[in-house]
Parts: sequence; C-alpha cells; structure tokens
Amino acid sequence: MAQELAREIRDENIDVRDVSVDGLNLLELIVGYDRLVVIDAIMTEVGEVGEIYRIKPENVCAPSCSAISPHHFNLATTIEIGKKLFPMEMPEEVTVFAVGTREVARVTEEMTSKVKEAIPKVVNLVLEQVDPTNKYRDAGHALDSNIPSNCHRKPQNNACQR
Amino acid sequence: MTKKIVIEPVTRIEGHGKVTILLNDAGNVDKARFHVTQVRGFEKFCEGRLFWEMPLITARICGICPVSHHLASAKAGDAILGVKLTPTAENLRRLIHMAQIVQSHALHFFYLASPDLLFGMDADPAKRNIMGLIAEMPEIAKKGVKIRAFGQKIIEMLGDKRVHPNAAIPGGMSKALSPDKRAEILSQVDGVIADCQFAIDLFKDYRAQHVEMVTNFADFDSAYLGLIDDKGNVEYYDGKLRLRGGDHFILEDNVAPENYLSVIEERVEDWTYLKFPYYKKLGYPGGMYRVGPLGRLNVADGCTTPLANKEFQNFKGLGGNGVVQGSLYYHYARLIEMLNCAEEIKSLVEDELICGKDIWVKSSHISDEGIGVIEAPRGTLFHHYWVEQSGKIRKVNLIVATGNNNLAMNRAVYEVAREFIKDGRLTEGILNRVEVAIRCYDPCLSCSSHALGHMPLEITICEPDGNVRQVLRN
Repeated sequence: MAQELAREIRDENIDVRDVSVDGLNLLELIVGYDRLVVIDAIMTEVGEVGEIYRIKPENVCAPSCSAISPHHFNLATTIEIGKKLFPMEMPEEVTVFAVGTREVARVTEEMTSKVKEAIPKVVNLVLEQVDPTNKYRDAGHALDSNIPSNCHRKPQNNACQR
Repeated sequence: MTKKIVIEPVTRIEGHGKVTILLNDAGNVDKARFHVTQVRGFEKFCEGRLFWEMPLITARICGICPVSHHLASAKAGDAILGVKLTPTAENLRRLIHMAQIVQSHALHFFYLASPDLLFGMDADPAKRNIMGLIAEMPEIAKKGVKIRAFGQKIIEMLGDKRVHPNAAIPGGMSKALSPDKRAEILSQVDGVIADCQFAIDLFKDYRAQHVEMVTNFADFDSAYLGLIDDKGNVEYYDGKLRLRGGDHFILEDNVAPENYLSVIEERVEDWTYLKFPYYKKLGYPGGMYRVGPLGRLNVADGCTTPLANKEFQNFKGLGGNGVVQGSLYYHYARLIEMLNCAEEIKSLVEDELICGKDIWVKSSHISDEGIGVIEAPRGTLFHHYWVEQSGKIRKVNLIVATGNNNLAMNRAVYEVAREFIKDGRLTEGILNRVEVAIRCYDPCLSCSSHALGHMPLEITICEPDGNVRQVLRN
C-alpha cells in the first residue's frame, strides 16, 4: 500500500512512510507535519474482513487505556503526549484508515484476497484525503466509525503532509 | 525449612521473568533468584543458515539494541572472510553504533529511570512513569524524546529503518552516507551534546540530595568487564577486553576478543533459561562480573572525548579506589556514555571521510570460525560462529549483555531484599526497590516493569507447605 501511494503521490510536501512502530517511536516520526494519515489493519468484533474504516484516533481507544509500557502507547495516547510536548509541531489533523482483518498477530507474506482487494480503495481514499481536488481516480468510500476499545491494531503505513 | 516469596510478573526480557526470594528459618533472606522463563533459541535455529545472513537474522534478537547484534554479527562475518574494513566503512559502523547507544541510553534514562529519581522511589506508581514526567516536567521529557530521535534518525539514515536496520554486511557497509545527511547530523549534534550535559546535571543534583542512598543502594563487590582502546579509554566498537576487580586490580588486560573463552565460562541453572557467564579463574559464582556502563567506566582509564572525559574523572572520584560499585551509579555512567557517544558522533561526522564511497572489501576466503565482539548499550556482546566452507553455519555461541549481568542482577535483588525483609516481615517499599535495582542494569524487562498506573510486580509470601500467607501488590 505504501509503495502504491508513493507511486501516486508526487507532491514533495508529502512523505509516505512504511513503518512498524507505535508509541514514542511513532511520535518521533510525526512531529513537524501538518497532517497525518495512518493506514492500519484492524480486528473488530462485528466487522467484515476487507471492510474499510475511517477513524479519528480519539475514537479508536481512550488515551492510555492500553498503555503498558513506553513502547506500547496507543495512537490516541501518542497524539496526546505529542500535543503536550510539542504543541506547535504536531499534525493538526489526524485520520486513520483501517482495513478489517481476521488476524493481526500472525505474520505472513500474503494478504487474504479481501484485504488485497481493499488496497486500491484505501489508496484512493488517502489520495482524496491528502488532496481533495485530485482527479486521479474514483475515491470510493469508507465507514466513519467509532471502534470499541478492545480492538486489536497493527501499525502499517503512514502518509504525512508537511 | 525455607519460605518462598515470589515476585512476578517481571515481564519482557523479550519474554518473561520473575523474582523468587527464599527465606531461611529465621525469616531472613537466604537466596534471591531472578528467573528468565522463556527460551529464545537463536543459537539453535541459526544453525544451517549462511553466515552473511546472520547480521539480519540476529538483529531480531532485540528490538531495543538490534544495531549491536547486527554489528557484532557483521564483525564475526569480517573475521570469517579475513578482511580489514576500509576506514570509511569502519567509521560508518562506529557512527551507527554510537547513534544506537545514544538512543538506547536516552530511552532508558528519560523514559524508564528518571521517574524513579525525580518523583522518588516511593511515589505513586500512577505518577512515577513517563506519563507523569510528561505531565509534570514536560521540558525534561522533551529533551529525552529529542536525544532519542537524533540517534534513531542516524540509524535510519544508514540502515533505512530505525529498528532492525539493513546497514552492515560482512566486509563493510551496504550504503554510504550522503553529504546532505551528514550536514543534517552536524546541524543537530551540538544541541544533543548540550541536552546530554543537562541529563548529567539532573543526576548529579539528585545524587547531591541523596548521597548516602545513591552510594549504598545495591552496593556490592564484583569484577567488571569491558572493551578498551590501545590507550585504555572506553571503547564501544572494537578494542581489547579488560577485566578489573572491585579492588581496582586488573585481572585480565588486552585480551584479544577472539580469546574470550580463555576468560569466560558459562553455567546453566535449572531454574532459569538465562545462562550465567563468570570469570573462569575465580570460578562460579565467585567469578561474578558486571558489564554495561558501570562495567565499561570501571575498567577504563579515560574517555576519548573532552566533555565526557571530564565527567569520567568526576565519576572515578566517587569510588574510594577508582572503582564505583553502587548499582544506582549505572545511571551516572550511562549518561556519561551518552555524552561520550554524542561527542564521538560529532567527531566522526566532522571528518569528510564519513561520506567516502569505498565501503566494502571483497574476499573469497572463508575461515571455519569467526568471532565478533562489541559493547552493546547494556554491555559486552559476543557472537561466535563456526562455519562450513560453503558458508553454512555449523554452530553458534552468543553471550549477550543481559546474560553477562545475570549473576549481578541476582545479587542486586538479594541486597535489596536483605535490607527490606527482616524476621519474615516485609518493609513497605520493597516492590519499588527490587524493581529499581533490576532497572539499574537496564535489561529489556525494564520497560514493562514501568507500567502506567499499575505496577506489574507482586510479592507472594508462601508458607513452607506452599500455602499463600500474604500477597502484596503495588
């Protein structure tokens, strides 16, 4: 997904990063940007595999609710810490696109077909998010969602705009 | 008849650990055991792999100091190939290594250890953590984030990733440093050096207010192990091994790293998966030695950079004979090293050689054995491979920093427990102090022993028949 986005986005003010970090490691990467788009996998109790969600980080989990160590602050906590430490340097707008999966803890080299099918749709949604005037493709749609706090997430890719 | 006290979980030494305190009939501490209850198995499943794959495979041993395993493994590969690196390649490896020490030490001090010092060991655990620090002392927390980000950024520049970088290969490095990235490092390094000095002052202020406690906390006699350069200075990347006793007497000096087995042996105990290295000539367990920041500074005669060397001289003055043995002084030593490495980064990057393109030496020679030794943030790290002529690994021996400190961590827990358990009664505060004692050594588990709002430590006092008499939780 990151490779696809990097191909499509030619604006030098936008960085596409493929990372597997969270907590303070993520904070170090997002300080200094105006807008942040996070693309992630998500496992919900009722959702379908391949379903795409558009989420505000504060709706993923309450700050600190899953924090057991400085390595595992959830996204909401990371944003909250960033705003306290670097109030002038944090992205003003944060959006999470999440793709429903059946499994987030087991690492494999292949995606399931339903998750794979979601990739171009998410790419279009991100393109629309970072540049609403873009005429590349039909942007598709995502569910605007509040996700229960016991969800499982695995950070995947980020698009940051300076 | 003995009673047993169990402290668990002390989680995440890339697995799980726990502490058991065994009492004697009088209700005083007989033994303290720090258990590591998960086997990692890297030594076994690396057998059959090719030696040039090892820098990437072994980096996965640790998510906190992958650069150390990556470089120690590449050094073992250099030895197998029988090559000497080009000056640029060696400087690039030193640069990424210094960056890792800076970020790792910053992580430990600011995120994990400083809340104990700034809020006090008996402060509410809900506040005594990085979140409390951010809420009440954001300027201090901000410096920690910035120092760490500086180190991580350099690792990413050279290895494409902040965790598990792809930088070193047997014979050199896979990528050169571009001039614009060199300029970026140079533009930030003076600020980082200033922030390292700030951190040192923070510790010195704390010590000035708690001299007796800092000096006596988990203070015990041991030997110390570390690498030194040809002038006896602290050395992180290369050099020779020195072992110094707590009495300042040098037990072993200028030992070539490939001869480490002439100095060290390992013992296995049936109650933990972590092995116990010890100094052969003093036997087990009398041959206990300590590694890491305290070990390195205690064995050395100086630091290579001016600001760090000045602090080093001050550090040496704290020990009556030039050897400093209190476990809390690990933090002071760690901060001096952070400053030393930041200054080293500046020195390496000021030299235009760092942007050279000659970064790899070819070789068709394959020795049947290769040893790579390096000073990881937590201490001396040994990678030893035996290979076939095809390059396939026959056997692997890894002695990691936390392992080197295994006897010492057990001893530190024992010292704290002895002070806080008298006649079968536990004094308030033992949980916090056991945790702080372990954290001085900065094993990977130090992260999770710093839970936010809920301390994951628990003491269970068992009667001799195994029935639980009392459970204490923070």
